[in-house]
Order: sequence, then C-alpha cells, then structure tokens
Amino acid sequence: MRLTRAAILVVLLAIPAALTGLWIRSADARLTELAAAPGEVAPVASASDVGYCNPELKRILRRVLLSCGLVGGDAARGCQPVQAKSVATMSGHDFNALFQPMKDRGGIVMFDKDKSELDAASTGLVDQVFADQRGASWFFVVARASPEGTVEHNRELSKARAEVVMTHLRQVFKDPDLDKEVGMLWLGEEFAQLETEFCAWKRSSSGACSPEQLNRSAFVAWIDCQL
Amino acid sequence: MRRSKPWLVVVLAGAFVGAVFAAVSTYDFVQHLDRQVHNLHCSFIPGVSHGAGESGCQVAMMSPYSSVLRTHVWGGIPISLAALSVFAFLVFYALDLVVTRRKDDPRATGFLALATALPALTSLVMLVISLAKLGTTCKLCVCIYLASAVCLIGGIALWRSAVREHRGSAPPDPHAERRDRHHDEPAFVGTAKTGSQARLVAVGVPTGATSTGFLAAMFGAGVGFVVLPILLYLALAPDHARFIGTCEGLPHPTDSYGVMVRLTHGSSSSSSSSPSSSSSSGTGTGTGASAGVPAIEVLDPLCPACRAFEQRLAASGLADRLDRKAVLFPLDNTCNWMVTEATHPGACTVSEAVLCAGDKAPDVIAWAFEEQDRIRGESGADPAAAARIVKQRFPELAACVGSPDARSRLNKSMRWIVANNIRVLTPQVFIDNVKLCDEDVDLGLEYTLSTMLDRHAHHALAPAPLDKPAASASPATPAASKPHGGTP
Repeated sequence: MRLTRAAILVVLLAIPAALTGLWIRSADARLTELAAAPGEVAPVASASDVGYCNPELKRILRRVLLSCGLVGGDAARGCQPVQAKSVATMSGHDFNALFQPMKDRGGIVMFDKDKSELDAASTGLVDQVFADQRGASWFFVVARASPEGTVEHNRELSKARAEVVMTHLRQVFKDPDLDKEVGMLWLGEEFAQLETEFCAWKRSSSGACSPEQLNRSAFVAWIDCQL
Repeated sequence: MRRSKPWLVVVLAGAFVGAVFAAVSTYDFVQHLDRQVHNLHCSFIPGVSHGAGESGCQVAMMSPYSSVLRTHVWGGIPISLAALSVFAFLVFYALDLVVTRRKDDPRATGFLALATALPALTSLVMLVISLAKLGTTCKLCVCIYLASAVCLIGGIALWRSAVREHRGSAPPDPHAERRDRHHDEPAFVGTAKTGSQARLVAVGVPTGATSTGFLAAMFGAGVGFVVLPILLYLALAPDHARFIGTCEGLPHPTDSYGVMVRLTHGSSSSSSSSPSSSSSSGTGTGTGASAGVPAIEVLDPLCPACRAFEQRLAASGLADRLDRKAVLFPLDNTCNWMVTEATHPGACTVSEAVLCAGDKAPDVIAWAFEEQDRIRGESGADPAAAARIVKQRFPELAACVGSPDARSRLNKSMRWIVANNIRVLTPQVFIDNVKLCDEDVDLGLEYTLSTMLDRHAHHALAPAPLDKPAASASPATPAASKPHGGTP
C-alpha cells in the first residue's frame, strides 16, 4: 500500500512538473531559434518616394538642389535664372513638365503687377501647401515675372517674390529644417514661363489667368522624392 | 458508508477537470515565453483554440493578475501553474483517501474540504477581479472556477457525510489506532454535534482518528505540490535579460522640432530639449519636473495597443520611475504617408489636438484612450467626425485643430520618427534612448522595464549599435507580422 501511495504521489507530482518543464524547454528552444533568425518585422519609417520620382527627375532634382545650395553644404541660397537653366539642361517646357505630377501638392501664389507682397489669400495658400508636407523632403519656390519690364528688373522682381515666400515660411513655421528643404529659384522672364495649363492649379487669386498674370507668381510645391 | 463514495468521485472529477483546464492555461502562458504572439486555447472544450484576436483569455493572460513575481521572471509565474498543482494535489489526496480507506474519516475528509476551499476561494477572488477590473471573463478561467466549485461541493459533502456516518456508529475501538497505523479502515466516533467546519477539529479526537501527523504530512505534500513546479519554473525559465538593448536605439533623439509632449502633468507640454542620451546618472537626465529616467513613447492616441500598454504600465507601478514624453505617430493615412490606409481613422485629428493642448496634453491623451473605439468607429464612416468629437469635448482647441500650424507640428513629429529610423508600429518605448523591444511590451513588461531601470541606475543600460534596421525602408503598409502588443 505504501508503494501504491508513493507511486500516486510521484506520478501526480511529476505530471505538472514534467509538463511545465517540457513546455518551458520548448519555448526556450523557439526563443533561441528566433533570436538567431528573426522573423518579418515592421517596415522602417521613411520619407516619401512616390511614383513620379523617376531617375530623370531625381537626376535633375539632385543637380538643382546641389547648385541651389540645399544639399552638399554650399552656403549659397537659391538659384538664379542662368543657373537654373544650366543645371536643368532642358527646355523651359520640359522643366515645367517635371512639376506637372505635383498638382495636388502645390499651388501658385499670384502677385500684382510689379509687386512682391503677399496678400491674405497668398499667405493662406502658402500656409496650406506648406503645412501639408506629409513625407516630402523638398519644397520648391519657383518665382517668375511677366515679360513687361526689363530682364534685370524682372530677375530682381522674381527674386523678391521668392524671398517673400521664404521669409513668410520662416516667420510662420519656425522649422529648423527650412534651409535644408526649401529650394528657391527665381526665373524672371527668362526661363520656363508657365503655360496656361497651370491655370488649373490651386491659385491664390481666382481671377483671370492669362499667361502674363500666371507668371507674376511664385510656384510652390512639395516634391515627394528621396535622393 | 457507501454514500460517501459519489462525493469522492465528484471531488476527483472536479480536480481532474480543473487540472486539465489549468494545464491548458499554463501551456498557453508558457508558450509565450518565446516572446511571440500565439493563439490561445479559449473554449469550454479543453484544447480548442480560440484563434487570433482579442478574447477574454487574451485580456486575462495579459493582465497583471495572470501571474506573480513579474519583475523577477519574464512574464511572472502563472497563477494557472499553482492551480494545476493544487488540482493535482486534490487528485492525489482523494486517491489517497481511497487507498488508505479514510474516505469516511471526518478528519481526513475535513482536511479535503479545507483543501478544496483554497482553489474555490482563489477562484472567487479571480472572478471578482475579472469582472471588476478586466470587464471580461475567460472561458478557460470559468472552467477552472466551476471545477473549483465542484471540488468544494464534493469536499464538503464528503466530509458532512463522514461526520454523519460516525455520529451513529459504535463506541471507540481500542485497537483502532493500531489499525490506522496499518492503513486499515479505521472506526471513528465523531464528537461533532453538527456538520459545521468550526467543529471539524473536534471530530475524530478519539483514538483511531486520522492522526495529526498524517494531516501535517499531507499539508506538507500539498505545499510541495505547489512549490516544486514553481521552483522548477524559476530554474528553467529562459534568460530574457539577454535581449535587453538588442533592439534599435535612437540615432537622433534630440527634440529639435519641439514635438514631444509630456505624458504626465508637468511644467510644459512640449520640450525643445532632448531626453538626453547616455545615462549619466541614476536619476535620469530629463528636463522636466520629474526626476525619473527619461523615456520616449512613440504612440498613436487611437491605438488600442497603446491604451493597453498604458494600462499595463500603470498597473506595473513602474511609471513613477519614468520621465515620460510622447512622440505622436498616428497610423492614419490622412496625414501619415507611411501607411496606405487609415488603420486608426481619426488619429491624425486627435494627434493634432494633443499637440494643440499644451499642458493639457495628458488629459487629451487619456480622453482619447477612453473614447478611441467611438472615435475610430465614427471617423471610419465620416472623416470629419474626429474633428467634431474633439471640438465638442475640447472647444478651446477648436481653432488650433486642423490649422496649418497644428498640421505642420504633427508632420514634424513624424519627421522625427523618420530621422530616428523608427518602425511603423505603435507603441514603441525607449528608455534613455534604448528601445524596450516590441516583444517585451506586454507579458514581459514588468521584468524587462524593471531590469532596464536597474541597469540604468547602475549605468549599465546600453543601446544597440545605431545601424539602420535591416528591414525595407520604403513607405509601405505595416508589416504583416505582429510583434508583441503592437499595432498594427
């Protein structure tokens, strides 16, 4: 009888212990196995790199950004018309075509003739577009002038239009990355004048959209490309 | 005398069923020691799997009430292991009553009744906790509760039967003790006037009753039944401390965008200073009023896993040792380009509200955790619902939520996420820039976090090398695999 009792004791004591030990050993083995060969994990957060960022666009983008001082440590800020034309190495029409896919990510800030001040509608549009950065890495401000006036005057006028947008962004958003992500180009009347197809973009003025009016402007857009 | 047998069978059956369900529950718990997500057996039929997803069993197992010693061993010692041991002991003792022919002995059966009271009382406590604290019940647990009740009923009935049996039996037999020593069936004269438990000790006083030594030995056996598996568990438990510091760190923890929000009421809602890297003191290097160890939580206010993590952290009692800040990472494609759909609809709007709230950010987060089911549900049907709900609750934030400034700040929050190569997953926690691995944020939270805090206090908490994680860097939907506790 003692033997029977002892046997019952041992068996019933051993069952929980053995099961527990077995299960723990099994979990430990899986743990070691998984540590050696980790399974699938969640992707790592990254900036946007959307479909229109083809190699050609990235090549142009890299050259523009390098020449305009956004990357590469150059202290220069902004590209003048001659620089833009030379780094783009393409026609004005093709240059503008690069921006066509960004219609939903940009807008056109309209200025009065021979003026470079932002009105309320313009600041509203700039704020709206800039605040919608999402995963974009680069923000372009491409200012132009209509053909009236001298080339030199229009060059300065377009530069002033680009800078007023930049100043506004600096004042409103206080973004420490501003100088690393905002590319300014002022094209005067010399290169890549906007064509009326851009009238369909968001504009700060809902009035008439003649080619002259359209080019009294600063084109702003986020570019969702990684370099 | 024969009438007592059915009750013994009842006890045996209850203990056996209880042991089976406790074993299944223990198995479910133990398999999680590999730090992975597993399906649970959650059914009234032993061994039937519930499948993936939330269930009462999942809630119960992840709750702090499912185990003890959680800061000493990863996940703690499962309560179900003790239950398994107790039921095994009840089976043993019931069989022993048969073998030693003590099934009609008031003292021996009284001891059984007392022994069955232990799992019954524990079950009652756990049931109350389950209903009051967790708001749910798990089917496996319910089966264990019922088995415990069956054991108790059988145990008490058996004892009462034994008492009644001896009330009318013959006077003491002078040779009874000798027979008892020889494990023969003893004859007893019960002295109890009623069947009450309080009088149990008086029963069987006459010579020949089950000896106190026997009962003490059985008590010792019962303790052994519980202690031995626990000691074995502690001895065999995997060393999870080796994984601390092996997950990604933060290459750029500085809050240059000023987007971090305090998770406790402090002096400011967001900080432009970093929850500094490199542990320089045991009290941390946080910049706020708190003297805790700096901790950064990457969270989505509408993420159920974030809410559950918050609850577990609060229950662990370790939150007070942390100086916590949050970086918002809404898994909602309205503002987050890294997800292709709104995993948590409305999360962008609520995150903006958190950023707009300033010192009240902890209140907004707490509210969002409470209301997240409703906000997600309504926002899924109407994208404008989140803004409406937020503005109803916090009218003072109405002008800010949806403004360019709020959207820009939320965007900067996600740019901080990108700059730090953080995975598209919430919640994620960094203790002094060392990641609390995703696999350790639920069952292993108390052990891992307390170990990390101890290491921090001893200047021994080091991050993993700051290489970019090997996974794809392209924006995509969240991974199909689900690390522990995270969303998605």
